[in-house]
Order: sequence, then C-alpha cells, then structure tokens
Amino acid sequence: MDGFNIKDVPEVVLWIAKIAIIFGGLVGTAALMSLAERKVSAWMQYRHGPNRVGPFGLLQPLADGIKFIFKEELIPEGANKFLFRLAPALAAIPAMMTIAVIPIGTVVIADQVIPFSIAQIDLGIMYMLALGGLSVYGAILGGWASNSKYSLLGGLRASAQMISYELTLILSILVVVALSGSLDLNTIVDAQREAGLWNVFTPFGFLAFVLFTIASFAETNRHPFDFAECEPELVGGFHTEYSAMRFALFFLGEYCAMTVMACLNTTLFFGGPSVPFWPEAPWFLGILAFLVKAGFFLFLFIWVRWTLPRFRFDQLMRLGWKVALPIALVNLLVVGAWVAFTTKGS
Amino acid sequence: MVVVQRKELTLAERLYLPEVLRGLSLTFRKFFEKPITRQYPEEPLPTDEVTRGQPRLVVKDDGNIACVSCGMCEIACPAYAITIDGGETDRTIEREPKKFEIDMLRCILCGFCEEACPKDAIFMSNELELADYTRAGLVYDMEKLKRPKSALQRRIDYIYKLNNRWRSKP
Repeated sequence: MDGFNIKDVPEVVLWIAKIAIIFGGLVGTAALMSLAERKVSAWMQYRHGPNRVGPFGLLQPLADGIKFIFKEELIPEGANKFLFRLAPALAAIPAMMTIAVIPIGTVVIADQVIPFSIAQIDLGIMYMLALGGLSVYGAILGGWASNSKYSLLGGLRASAQMISYELTLILSILVVVALSGSLDLNTIVDAQREAGLWNVFTPFGFLAFVLFTIASFAETNRHPFDFAECEPELVGGFHTEYSAMRFALFFLGEYCAMTVMACLNTTLFFGGPSVPFWPEAPWFLGILAFLVKAGFFLFLFIWVRWTLPRFRFDQLMRLGWKVALPIALVNLLVVGAWVAFTTKGS
Repeated sequence: MVVVQRKELTLAERLYLPEVLRGLSLTFRKFFEKPITRQYPEEPLPTDEVTRGQPRLVVKDDGNIACVSCGMCEIACPAYAITIDGGETDRTIEREPKKFEIDMLRCILCGFCEEACPKDAIFMSNELELADYTRAGLVYDMEKLKRPKSALQRRIDYIYKLNNRWRSKP
C-alpha cells in the first residue's frame, strides 16, 4: 500500500463503495431477519424451524424471494391503482434511507481514517426522524388504496399509533441530545466514548432508553404493538390485499425499519461502535462491537414478539398517552434543568 | 349470573415491565431446549404391536400363504375393500385365493378382517404410509400384500394374547 493516499481516490468511488456495502448489508440483514424470526420462534416453541433449503435453512430467504417474484399479483377491484402500487415503495424506501446517517464506525486503510457511514450530516437525528415519519405513509396509503375495510382499519390504526408513540420516541431522543449537546450522531457517539460512559448507564439515559425501546417497538409495528397488521382482528391489516413482491416489500420495509431502530438504539444509548473499557481499540473491533450491539437489539425484537401477547387498542393508547408520554416529558424537563444548572458557567 | 372475582394486581404486576422480564427469561430458557417435533421422512413414526396399520397377508414358513379364500374377511369388511376370487389347489387345504385385492383407498384400517379370519392369514401390519400417483396403484394385489410371518410376528403374538382372554382356562 506504498504511496496509496485516500485523497487520490475519487470521492464518488468511496461513496459508491460505502453505499454498496451499507445498503447491501441492510437488505441482507433484513433478509436474514425473516429467517431468524422463524428460526428463533421455532426454537422458543420446541420446533426446528426452516431447515430444508441449504444448510440450517440459510438459503430460505433466497427461496422466499424467488417465490415472491414469480407469484401472481392481484390488484383488487375498485382499488386506486396508482397509490396501491406506490404504497409498498413508500413503506420500504424511507426505512432504507435512514441507515445513511448511522455511524457504524471508522475504517482505517493505510493509516488513513475513513468514517464508515454514508453521510456525516450535523442534523442526523432530524433526518432520521423526518424520514422515519414518512414510513407511515406506506401503511396508510396501502390501507386506503386497497378499497378493503380491513386494510383501511389497519392503516388508520397504524397512523394513530405512530402519532402517539412518535412523541415519546422524540422526547426520549431529546434527552440524549440534551446530554450530548448535539443533533449529530457522530458527536453523540464521540461524547459517549470520551466520557467512557454510555448513555444507558446514566439515570436519565436509562429511563430514556426504556421509553425509546418501547416506542421503537410501536414505531416499527412490532409485537406487542402490531395493531396495523393484527391478524385475528384485521385479517392482515394494511397489507391484506397485497400479494407477490409488493407484499414482500412491506416486510422488507418492516425489517429494514427494525434494523435501523436497532442501530439507532445502539448509537444513542450504547455508544455506537465504542468498545467497552478499551477506547483505543482497533477499528475492526469497533465495527464488530457495533454489529454485536445492533444484533442484540434485533434479537430483542424477535424475542419480545414471541413472548408477549398483543395489547388491546385502548391499552395501547393509555400506555402511550397516560404513561409513556408524561414520564418522557418529566424526564426531559429534569434533564434540561440538570444540564442548564451544571453548565451555567460556560 | 356469573361474577368473576378478579385478583387485585400488585404494584409490580401493574408496572408491567418486571412481568415482561419474567416472560422474556422464560422464553430464553426454552430457547436452548431440544425440539420435540419429529423430522418426519427422516425420522419415521414409532410403531409397536398395538399399531393398527394396513392389513397384510401372512406367508407361512413353507412359502404358501395361509389364506384359504373362505371369504370371511370379505364379508366382515365394512368398507367393501376386499375382493377375493377362490380357486382349487393341490395342497391339502384344497382352496386358495387366485385373486386377493384390497383397495387401500377404501380400507379404513378397522381390523375387522383380522378378527374375522379363522386361519390367522390376515393381520394388521405396522405399515402406515400410503401414497401413489394413481388410484389404480393403490389397489393392492396379492403380491403387494404378502409379508413373511416373521415380519408380522409381534402383531400375531399380541392378537393371541388378546384372544387368550376368551379361551377357557385349562
């Protein structure tokens, strides 16, 4: 690598390489999650899970993908065809785009540090929340355009739930923003690394972490808050009328959103790519640490799904508005006061 | 009117999160336990002498089948699954089936033929798998039904044990 200088490489090449790796990793993770969901649920219920396609069923997502592509696609009579086709893309694309600002760590090639994230923008959290808010359009439009009562109810529930829990989600993120003093995810990670203390181990941070985790389950429509697709009541919720690859796109979007939420949880509360008790750890250990932490939260999504029964809709609303939101508000106020008093001199 | 008395929830239960953790620990412990489902084609169903599978004809140790085509099983069969055409033979029993067919799609595995048989010629085996591409392929002829006596010995012993209850004690 003599004479190699990262400055010589055109920036476009670096971008494309980063996008290919990170985006491919995200979609690959989403595909693996569809297998992991079935495998983990099977193991928790004394079953084997898919084990026929490839070793340990590892090629099952591939087989599913091929099946989805070749299946017949049905569009119900009376459906708004344009919105019906648009909705799955709207569900999947924002969820995939939000990965761009997550700092996964740094790559060191020939003593030159390259930040391993697609974009380093100083309003990373704003970007994530704005795009995350968009993803609910997929559910609402899909539910409305299907011209089916179950789909419509699923879409309505999705929107009501998103609005209720987005408040808690944002308020608990604001706690971290107040503690770190920045909206930049890189700065938040660096602040945790320099302090040697992850946000989850501070008292306010822990409370915010619990609220964030609960809200992230609701935001991604996962159990025990999966009211948008609630099989026993709504057949399949907003994607009742969808078939073939468009149906798969909704799931891809859901799994991508879960992956991003897991990454965000890692970044905000668990120090992102920082290795515990070893601030000078080599770069690949940092990325490994990030993947392990995010992997744990992905497992938590599945783990909770196969443990807890679904709430009732009024219970969901009560938990969101009467419990989570006041706690998040008080937590933010206390953190704000604490930050204001401790940084008075500066 | 039924009045259900519900237990007042304790504070820990109403907080919900401790109970969530309890549930999570339960599923995590079950995560490592051995699956109890059977991988069917590789791990076949366990069978024993009580298993009442498809009826099979006994081939005696001298190579002849025990059936004398008396037609008792044909009459006993509630599903009309058995068809027998008798014929003469030079053996001392004088009669043996020329055609013995069981339509496995009609057979209901009731075991009446086994009960009816006076010559211990037909027994319920432990064979349970039944699949073919045509209906005609599932009408089993004599060649398909023949089993050596040793293969059915457990079932034969079991039936003798059952029938011994009705025999007078010496």
